[in-house]
Amino acid sequence: MSIYGVLLDQLPYLLQGLGIAVLLLMALLVVGLVLGLFFALVEIYGPLWARLPVYALERFARGVPAIILLFLFYYGIGNVYAIPSFAAAVAALGLRSGGYQSQIFRGAIQSVPYGQMLAARAIGMGRMGAVAYIIVPQALRHAIGPWSNEFSAEFKDTSLAYVIGVIELTRQAHYIISNQHGHTLPVLLFAAVLYFVVNRFGNSLLYRLEDRLEVPGFERRS
Amino acid sequence: MKRMLRSASTVLAGLAAVAALLPGVASAETYTAGIEASFPPWAYVENGEKKGIAVDAMRWIAKDQGIDVNFKDLPWPSLVPALGQGRIDLLVTGLDVTRERDKVVDYSIPWYVNNDALMVPKDSDLNVVTALSNGATIGIQSGSTQYLWAKKNLVDNPDIDATIKGYDSSVTAVEDMEAGRVDSFMVDELTATEFASKRDDIKTIAIMMAERPMALAVTDGDPHHLLAKLNKGIMNMVDSGNWRRIVKKYAPYMPIKNVPGYMPPYIDHYKNPPGIDLSN
Repeated sequence: MSIYGVLLDQLPYLLQGLGIAVLLLMALLVVGLVLGLFFALVEIYGPLWARLPVYALERFARGVPAIILLFLFYYGIGNVYAIPSFAAAVAALGLRSGGYQSQIFRGAIQSVPYGQMLAARAIGMGRMGAVAYIIVPQALRHAIGPWSNEFSAEFKDTSLAYVIGVIELTRQAHYIISNQHGHTLPVLLFAAVLYFVVNRFGNSLLYRLEDRLEVPGFERRS
Repeated sequence: MKRMLRSASTVLAGLAAVAALLPGVASAETYTAGIEASFPPWAYVENGEKKGIAVDAMRWIAKDQGIDVNFKDLPWPSLVPALGQGRIDLLVTGLDVTRERDKVVDYSIPWYVNNDALMVPKDSDLNVVTALSNGATIGIQSGSTQYLWAKKNLVDNPDIDATIKGYDSSVTAVEDMEAGRVDSFMVDELTATEFASKRDDIKTIAIMMAERPMALAVTDGDPHHLLAKLNKGIMNMVDSGNWRRIVKKYAPYMPIKNVPGYMPPYIDHYKNPPGIDLSN
């Protein structure tokens, strides 16, 4: 069988790996979204004692290679609790994404004109209420554009998770390469096409969402 | 804010539920066997199924000894550390017995004895001497026993002019040799035979008698008392003819060797392997 026949034959398993990669992406983006929003709110509105540890954690998450974070979570936490590979990958990449997303949200929150906070306070809203009902809903809508970059970057980084035993697309591709004793290039190119297609599809969904949720009167890319 | 927190906690609870459903969480009675599943004929994945000599043999031994074993695929460099840390309970890929590894793992009796092989492209004129000296560049999988041997005996020897280049996997080393970036490729004899049977662009020019024992390994100190069961299981498998059957199924060309294979004197518990009686 030619290598293309093998690829076609093994397509269900490659797609299964792609499915794991997409599941990992969704989970880590949700973790990153929750953490990132929390980090951003604390960094902007929090008292100093809360800001300092959040700064430290966020800088650490952004300043350490993803592969090292994966090992830290799998083996580090593994010392105390037998964390499964997938959960460790979600935690490690989710924390890192949280660091990056916090900076997207910080920018988006600060792009909402300060006058809106003053106006909200003037009509009797509390500070928390103004943040939750006036500032954050607009900031999230501004954030969709830059957030789509984070989506792409994290999706590509799911390909590192095999080092701690998550059987995602790249690992499935390795299986084919080792079984065939060669053909590294066509197999990896095929995996690249699968990554690319999902990436473009996700991005076009996000662009459509950005259009739909555009904040009226706010300048945006055309 | 409260609503946001509530939805956040729902999401986290959902994630925790998903994580709990995922395989790989070892229960008390089931042992996790680490394999490198891109290492045919010992362990590999085909059509979504884990296969290979080590996988089938381990399944047979587990059944024979009444234990449950789950397989966990980890890349090669992660396996020994994972065993040292107890993330896996035993290691069942074609693992060489070495003095260094013995410090962090405990070995079962050897179930195979392997040699080293030297390969070159089919059209190459190099012989066993010129492929390892005379300015030759040798491709080898990083961290393998062959890599350590070549480093110590060729590169660090001032009288021999040889360079080694380490690779992530044997396949990449072979493909780089085809691209002309290395002159020769050193690997264990079995893998060499496997390559020669699957590719027609490379050839083996030498087999070097290295007599490297291969064995299963458990965490140092054998905390789960698995060694005796593994040793007994290996002997039962050999005596019942199942070892021959499994080996021939995956590697028809592979000679069957005496089990237990050569047991180096520097491995302490080889003087009296648990679970078996070698006196007869």
